Amino acid sequence: MTGVLVTTINLTAIYALVALGISLTWAGLGFLNLSAGVMYAGAAYGAWLVSTEITTNVVVVLLGGILTGVLFGALICLTVFLPLDSKPNWEIRTLTATLALSFIGVNLYQWKFGPQFKQFEPLFSWLPQFRLGEALVKSTVTGTVIATAVIVTIVLIYLGSSRIGLGVRALTQSVEGAALVGINRRTSAFAILGVSGAFIGLAAVLLGQTFFVEPNSGYVPLIKGLIVALLGGLGSLRGAVIAAFMVALCEALTLQYFGGAWVLVTLFLLISIVLIIRPRGVAGVLETTRA
Amino acid sequence: MTPVLEIKGLEAGYGPLRVLHGIDLTVAEGERVGILGLNGHGKTTMLRAIVDLVDWRQGEILYDGESIMKAPTFALARRGVVLMPQGDALFPGLSVKDNLDSGAYPGGTWRKRKERRDYVCEIFPRLGERLNQVVGTLSGGERRMCSIGRGLMSEARLYLVDEPSLGLGPGIAKGICDTLMALDLQGGALLIAEQNRLLIDGRVDRALRMHGGELTPDTGEDGVH
Repeated sequence: MTGVLVTTINLTAIYALVALGISLTWAGLGFLNLSAGVMYAGAAYGAWLVSTEITTNVVVVLLGGILTGVLFGALICLTVFLPLDSKPNWEIRTLTATLALSFIGVNLYQWKFGPQFKQFEPLFSWLPQFRLGEALVKSTVTGTVIATAVIVTIVLIYLGSSRIGLGVRALTQSVEGAALVGINRRTSAFAILGVSGAFIGLAAVLLGQTFFVEPNSGYVPLIKGLIVALLGGLGSLRGAVIAAFMVALCEALTLQYFGGAWVLVTLFLLISIVLIIRPRGVAGVLETTRA
Repeated sequence: MTPVLEIKGLEAGYGPLRVLHGIDLTVAEGERVGILGLNGHGKTTMLRAIVDLVDWRQGEILYDGESIMKAPTFALARRGVVLMPQGDALFPGLSVKDNLDSGAYPGGTWRKRKERRDYVCEIFPRLGERLNQVVGTLSGGERRMCSIGRGLMSEARLYLVDEPSLGLGPGIAKGICDTLMALDLQGGALLIAEQNRLLIDGRVDRALRMHGGELTPDTGEDGVH
């Protein structure tokens, strides 16, 4: 059972990061970022380049991935959000534009890096392995959980205490209210997409410890991130973290007791059950607002 | 002296609907102007048109002598034009403190947010008791206080207040209007839209009547009570 727990915590950390990135963009700017997968793969390549060309220092490589993610966020802001903001059919146009970016990105990665799998040097091998009950907790798992906890805490403290953070949080609640107090949605978009990119970039480096990096490696995290964000209730950050835990637990239990082939089946069942009971996802349970 | 607000031939509306028909209005420094009128006659549209929150508008609006027809809502807030809207437009998932602080968002005011918050809590002590409470859980009257408090957090020069009494009990509505009328405008101005004449009668420098999207001097004979 402790094995299930360790797998759950590890997967929760990574799924939550990608879902937070997707959910924050939806909440703050009102569009579903289908190019999150390309951000993910781009950040993974960025961190891989740092680790092969510059240094294998864990902090620098993590920062490499995070900063590449932030740059991709700024790029999406410039190429999708700013040109399409306030235009008719905004929802469909942004979906199409981010999907197009996703295809362009994958092809550019094919052209630049080729189809070969790239592998990271282990970043956390200096951390000790230890046993938790009968389960062996590998250094990668410990590193993933610590790095996620540290970065998410820093970002949440920043969002909770700074002026720009208040602007971002206000935008997730009311676009009109934000404009009325002087918050510029178009410049705040850089902060929102930058933070989203940072979360997705960190996830890319952490998952890159277990999986190879290749041009299409962003698709699975994109789909998992979308599932978690939907299950959590699009736009709810707390909902995204809780949903990440639910999905991770579901996957870990299925792996342990039924085998890997059943993961998608149980996941589909979980999504169906939650969305039948709570069509707005977990966030519906968390709402405390009066009518 | 340059008026704080000057509106010339303002027409505005939503989609094909024209709500305002050639509004002319001048508001001088230190002046409190009341707009009286029944529901659906254009009071809200006029205030929203000033801060560019309508579908379309034409004519001219000058703020401190400069045209603001091309200025977006957020830029006007930064220049001291604050709308306290109907429906409050608060941030329901954020605390009272965060909602108030958001009113001090424009750069220069942000550093003074603590003293501005203390000032607002002095006016509305109930907000001071609920600083950490999520705004979505407040009562209607408390939300209105929070919305007006958020407006007061900024160092505004032109306050636009849209029906502060809407949906509130008579006691709370009167208390909120008393607060607004006692406000030290410090050379700024206040434009208040209200359908309850009793709340602002004799307490504004000038009252105008909005009827069918047109602004005329108030005669007290329009059926507005």
